[in-house]
Amino acid sequence: MRKLRGGSQETENSVMIIEDYHHKMAAHCESGSITSLLNHAGMTITEPMVFGISSGIFFGYFHKMKSFAFPTFIVRNKPGQMRKNLHKRTGVRFYSKDFRNIDSGQIALDNLVLSGIPTATQVDMFYLDYVPSWERVHINVHFLVVIGKEDDLYKVSDSYFPNVVDLPVGSMNKARFAQGSMSPKGFLFYPEFVPPSFDYEKAIRKGIKKACFNMLCIPIPFLGIKGIRLFAKKITDWPSMARDTEHLSHEVMKINILLEDQGTGGAGFRFMYATFLQQASEMINKPELKALARELMEIGDGWREFSLFAARIGKNRDLGPDKFKQMSELLYQRADKEEDFFKRLSKTIK
Amino acid sequence: MSQVPTVELKTEIKNLIMETLGISGITPDEIDDEEPLFGGGNALTLDSVDALEIIMAIQRKYKLRIADQNLARSVIKSINSIAEFLVTEQEKQS
Repeated sequence: MRKLRGGSQETENSVMIIEDYHHKMAAHCESGSITSLLNHAGMTITEPMVFGISSGIFFGYFHKMKSFAFPTFIVRNKPGQMRKNLHKRTGVRFYSKDFRNIDSGQIALDNLVLSGIPTATQVDMFYLDYVPSWERVHINVHFLVVIGKEDDLYKVSDSYFPNVVDLPVGSMNKARFAQGSMSPKGFLFYPEFVPPSFDYEKAIRKGIKKACFNMLCIPIPFLGIKGIRLFAKKITDWPSMARDTEHLSHEVMKINILLEDQGTGGAGFRFMYATFLQQASEMINKPELKALARELMEIGDGWREFSLFAARIGKNRDLGPDKFKQMSELLYQRADKEEDFFKRLSKTIK
Repeated sequence: MSQVPTVELKTEIKNLIMETLGISGITPDEIDDEEPLFGGGNALTLDSVDALEIIMAIQRKYKLRIADQNLARSVIKSINSIAEFLVTEQEKQS
């Protein structure tokens, strides 16, 4: 594996395009970037397998936290956790770094790319010029892979787009150093060590066990299934927490954005985990996982129904108490379904 | 080699979209097959909520699942892309 080369390097008018990097679309930006980088480094692994082994599936509801102006939720483990878990279970080691200022962040990225190392970086999607204007929103935790630089243009492999795209240096810097909650601070990473092989069965089993623990057993009232139930309970408070109808509508519409529109979302992550279980079923010869995968697909459909319901009422400003009660009921149903699912998954993998 | 989507299928898709979104005042003929359904330029200008409504309507009507968000995004780009996706799926199932 290639290692980071220290020291700055004159980047102006330098040209480097990593031709053998294979760009492909992915279901999710972070797991997709990790998978692509690992594939480039010689590791044969699929995106659902990365997601499953790293126990990516999760839920957390944050009703009142300093860092969030309004309640929010997550449907996967926190950014960075996938890499940490993958390291523990496969031996892959990632180099990662964030930066205090734009100059040092740009120099580091340029050095890596000009040295032929495809590098993932965290960005705010809003500043990505190649994203159509109607799809641009401020989401600070988008990941893309930089695979080249030609004068003032970076060559970018963004797993949400079918082809490699160009991004001007100025826009990349804005995107990497955007402000706000979970600001990227120029964060970048790449795999610096990939083991020649690892024990797939052990990694899969550990990944599933940890996911079940996270969903069922974490003794924190806002995480896992408890988090879905807390969301179900607290969502009826949302109208009293919003400034006005416009604000409430915006926050309700964000449910759809978090679940569906940007990033893979509640449904999509459930679909990806189902694909992981299908693949795992064959790899460790456990047919029961295939049946559970089918069930999880249906659970994902339920999340999509919830997301659509939220999107509809938000868009139509149809935000009466009855609608929040309905959303609450839909969430309780999701919690019951997921609790039953993860309990059986846990028993299956023991 | 994939079959070419028929005019009938494209009209069926247009009707499904109009019914799903409660659109009136235009006819299926006015919706261009190739122009993007999002971002203007077509008789229909849709947003991300409409996109989700259409995905779910397609899933229900044609009994299939579009699980991947990126696939969903590329499928519902235009009437032609939806029609081509459905033809490919029907070929896979037959």
